[in-house]
Parts: sequence; C-alpha cells; structure tokens
Amino acid sequence: MADLANIVAVGILLGGIYALVSVGLNLIFGVIRIVNFAQGEFVMLGMYGTYAAYTFLRVDPYLALVVVLPGLFLFGAIVQRLILAPLRTEPTMQIFATFGLLMLLENVVLALTRGTAYSVTSVVAQTSIGIGGVQVGLVRLVALAAATGVAVALGLFLKHSMLGRAIRAVAQDRSAARLVGVNVDRIYMLTFGIGAALAGLAGCLLTPIYTLSPQIGTSFILPAFAVVVLGGLGSVLGAYIGGFIVGLTEAFAGYYLDPALKHAVLFAVFIAVLIVRPSGLFGQVGAEEVGLRDQS
Amino acid sequence: MINPDGASAFAPASSAGAADRTGPRTRSAPRVKTFASELPRALLVLGLLSGLVYLYSGDTFTLNTLAAAFLFAGLSSAWNIIGGFGGQFSLGHSVFFAVGAYTTANLYLKAGISPWIALAPAALLAALVACLLSWPVFRLRGPFFAIATMAFTEVALALGNYMESITGGTRGMSIPFRLGFANMIFRDRLSYALLMLGFAALCLLVVLAVHRSRLGYYLQAVRDNEQAARAAGISVLRVKLMGMALSAALTGIGGGLFFMQVRVADPAALLSLFEFGVKFALIALIGGLGTIYGPLLGALVVIPLESWLRAELGGIVPGANLIVLSLCLILAALFMKHGIVGSLQRLFTIATRRIPR
Repeated sequence: MADLANIVAVGILLGGIYALVSVGLNLIFGVIRIVNFAQGEFVMLGMYGTYAAYTFLRVDPYLALVVVLPGLFLFGAIVQRLILAPLRTEPTMQIFATFGLLMLLENVVLALTRGTAYSVTSVVAQTSIGIGGVQVGLVRLVALAAATGVAVALGLFLKHSMLGRAIRAVAQDRSAARLVGVNVDRIYMLTFGIGAALAGLAGCLLTPIYTLSPQIGTSFILPAFAVVVLGGLGSVLGAYIGGFIVGLTEAFAGYYLDPALKHAVLFAVFIAVLIVRPSGLFGQVGAEEVGLRDQS
Repeated sequence: MINPDGASAFAPASSAGAADRTGPRTRSAPRVKTFASELPRALLVLGLLSGLVYLYSGDTFTLNTLAAAFLFAGLSSAWNIIGGFGGQFSLGHSVFFAVGAYTTANLYLKAGISPWIALAPAALLAALVACLLSWPVFRLRGPFFAIATMAFTEVALALGNYMESITGGTRGMSIPFRLGFANMIFRDRLSYALLMLGFAALCLLVVLAVHRSRLGYYLQAVRDNEQAARAAGISVLRVKLMGMALSAALTGIGGGLFFMQVRVADPAALLSLFEFGVKFALIALIGGLGTIYGPLLGALVVIPLESWLRAELGGIVPGANLIVLSLCLILAALFMKHGIVGSLQRLFTIATRRIPR
C-alpha cells in the first residue's frame, strides 16, 4: 500500500512537470497549427537563462522568472516572425524548420557551455514535506502547483480577456477572425511568444530539479508530444490531464515492469492513442487534420 | 546537367510546339522518360564518382569521407523513396537502419554467415519491421506521422538497450577484426569506399526504377493529394506500405554495411536521431526532395562539409558541424525548398531563356 501511494505520488509529481512543459506546446499547436519540435529547447533555454541569472545576478532560481519570461517571449516572437511566418502554408517545411531550430539551439548551447553539466540550488530545494507517509520534494510540489496555476490562468485568459478571445477566434477560423478585424499575424506572433514564455516558465521551475545539459530539451519533447496527443491537441485542459496520465504511466511502468522499459511502454501507449484516437482524449475530433489542410 | 524532369524536358516540348504550327498535325508526344532512357545518365554519374575514388585512392582521410558520403547518399536515396516521392515524412528510419545492422552482425557472429549473404535477411527483416510499424501509423499525416516515427526511435532505443543478447546492451557490440573478403573486413580504406559506392549505386538504380514505375507515380500521386489518389483507384495504404518496405529494405542493407565498416556500435549510436534518422531527411532536403539525384548530391555536399567542420572545429567548438547543418536546414526550408537540384534547374531555365533562339 505504501508502495502504491509512493508510485502515485511520483507519477503525479512527474505529471505536473510534464503538464507544465506541454501547455505551451499545445497552445502553439492549437492556435498556429504548428507542431513545434523546438519547444523542449525553449525549456532548455529557460533553464540556462535561470542558471545565468543565478550565477551572474546571484538571484534565487525562482526570482530569475522576471528576466527569463520576457526574454523567451521576445525570442519566441522573433522566431515566429523570421522563420515560421514565411512557411505558414507549408507543413513539411515547418517540420524541417522547427527541427532545424531544435538542432541549432541544442548545439549552440553545447558549444557555449562546452558540454559541462550545471546544477542550481534554491533555498526551496532542500526542503521536503511528508504527506500521508510519502516524502515529497518541495520543488516538485511547486512545479505541480505552477502547472495547475498556469492551466487555470491560461484557461481564464483565453476565455475572458479580449486578447484571449481574439486568439480563440484565430484558432477557430482564421479568415473569419480577420474579417471581424483581428490582426491575425500579430496574434500568431503573440501566441508563439506566449508559448515560448510558458516553456521558459517551465525551465525556470525545473532548474532546481534537473541537472542542466544541452540535451535535456530532447528528453522533454517526446513526453510532451505524448502528453499533447493523449490529452487532446489544442486543449489546455487536455495538456494538463494528459500530463498526469503520462506521468502515472511512466511511474507504474517503471515500478512494475522495468525502469529500463518505462519509456518504451510510454511511447507504445502514445502510439496506440495516436492510432486509435488521433484527436486525443479532450481534443476535437478531426483537430489533427485541420492544421494540414490548406489555410488560405 | 543533373536535371531529370524540369528544364531539359521543357526545351524539346516547346520546339515541337513550334513545329506544329508549320507542319502537318502529327504531334509527337513529349518523350516519356523511362528507366532505359535515364540509365545512361545514372551510369555517367556513377562513373564520375568512381573516377573521384580513383583520384583520391591514396588519401585515407578523403577516402573515409567519400565512403561516408556514399553510404549516406544511398541511405538518403532510400529515404527519398517514401519521404520524397511518397511525402511520408519518416523520422524513424534509424530503426530500420539498426535492424539491418543487428541482423547482419548477429548472423555473422553467431551463425558464421558471411555478411554479404546476411545482407539479404537484413533487408527482408527491415522491410518486415517497417511494414508492421507503419501499417497503423500511415493513417496519420504530416507532423503527426513524423512524431509517431520519432517515437518509434525512442521505443527502439529502450528495447535495444534492454535486449542485451542481441544488441550487447548499452556496452555495445563489436565484431572482431578478421581480415578477408568473405568477412567484409578490409585493411585498406579504398575497399570500403568502393563498397559504399556500390551501395549508393544500388540505391540509385532502385530509385531510378521506382521513379519511372507505376509504384513511383502512385507514390507521387499519394503525396500530392491523397484523396484524389484514392478516388482515382489507387490503394493508398498498399502503395505507402510498398514504398516504405522498399525504402526500409535498402536502409537495412545500409545498416549492415555501416556496422561491418565501424565494427563496433551501441544502440544509442545506431538509433541517434541527429546522426541517422533525421540526417537522411536533411540530406534529401538539401539536395532536392523527391528528385532522383538530389540525395546523392546532398550527401556529396553535406558529408564532406560535416567531416571538414568536425576536423577543423570539432576540438574548439563542440557540435560545430551540427550547428552549421541545422542552419543549412533552416535556410533550405526557408529559401531553397527544392534543394540544390531545384536551384540548378531554375538557373538552367533562366540561362536557357536568356539565350536567343
């Protein structure tokens, strides 16, 4: 019983991390219909940004948010304008471009850091709390809380704010949105920026948990894809719940089968869902094809 | 001119049109390119490449680079069958590559079967695995197909590390150095360069045959418009599966050859996304997606560039070769969607238009 509680706790905390990483990916997909292969690298950039702030400005990793969030927002907006906007009607070239970005960011960071692994500590990092006999690290709880907060805030923002409405309008029908006076190009740029900033937020909060390496982005991106596909493409709630499904799957497979096989099981489930219900559990049926039709 | 369909086909067609207006209405159809009519050009290209090998036969570094370039030319041509002609953007070809490599190595080490013969079951098994894996995923399109095939790589890596008896696990697997033609183990680099050139030639000829065959036209129809292809009576799934099987079989052979050349590898190296899975696609894009000679040309540009960067900058800037490659990838996606072949074609068209008739 204690084992089970432990596994569930591990799974939920991992799920919180995955949900946090995936929300931005899903927002970008839902609105711009681009599968951003480089999203994991944005998280990685957030982590290194936090490290830089921690080393040079001597601030706590959690305070580095003030610098990292606007930085990544700007970076995302520039990337969208320069690289993705010209490729709007070409899904194949988008894959190439975002994959190129993935390789570029990973290797530029590798070249800059020369492959040295860094780690960052926070005052929060050493603390852990016992909940019902299960010891839980406070940093992971913070990530879980942040994922919940981000999902709720993003949901409210999309639902009630003027900008959020405009974003949803663009996601539903681009031409109609333009007809009623929404600046579609600006919305695309903003959305990509927000998606990148969310990745930066994830990076910031994960810095005390993981050891930094340039390759860490790639280790996030596949679980994030699994989350997004499981939860439902383009759905914020889906990304949140999908995160927990993936986290729990990984935790259970790691315990009951073999830790070496947990990724294999995870992706087998992922591929199965992709085949049986490509729109995911909470996505609109057919959402996975909309982005591939020509959007004039 | 390396230029299969575009500009050169244009010139005779227009002159035939001019003849139409003056002469009797005996319109001759524009000459359809067949395997036989394309063969001389392919043989000429291969002849030039073997001349290149002969020219550098004393230079070990260049021979190594050429061998790698030829290997990737073949592998990328194989990817091009399903990725370029068929438009199915697979990032999972390193799985078939690894299947071929491990089949060859295991048959050689455990059953003592010569690698030359073991390449056949390697190709078959790779094709079989490819069909079984892609059958369910072929209903996905575009980026989703790419993600699913990328996930295959991850599953295969986990399984590869787990199945130690077949792959040697994370410690890797090595083939003892026993010289001999039957063992496909040579001391001189020239033999390897020729071996890989042979592989590239095989792939080029298969691509040529496919491109001018019913299957090739079906694949292109599926790429351009799946619904229209289905409406025209093409069995879309069957065409995709056949393209994938052929592509994977060649990739499996390439895997076997690669393993016999390096003689030591672990699953992480064989299933590396950047080193293999994506590089096939990248080379094809830079050379020219869906063209016959594009992947060959792409490999001859990309691989030497990469090995030069690695030699010059590898010690100073780690990952410099991948930085340059990824920049090329982004720039090609933005400005050179038809790759080197496409750009050459356009230059050729512009040049021929300027010349007054």
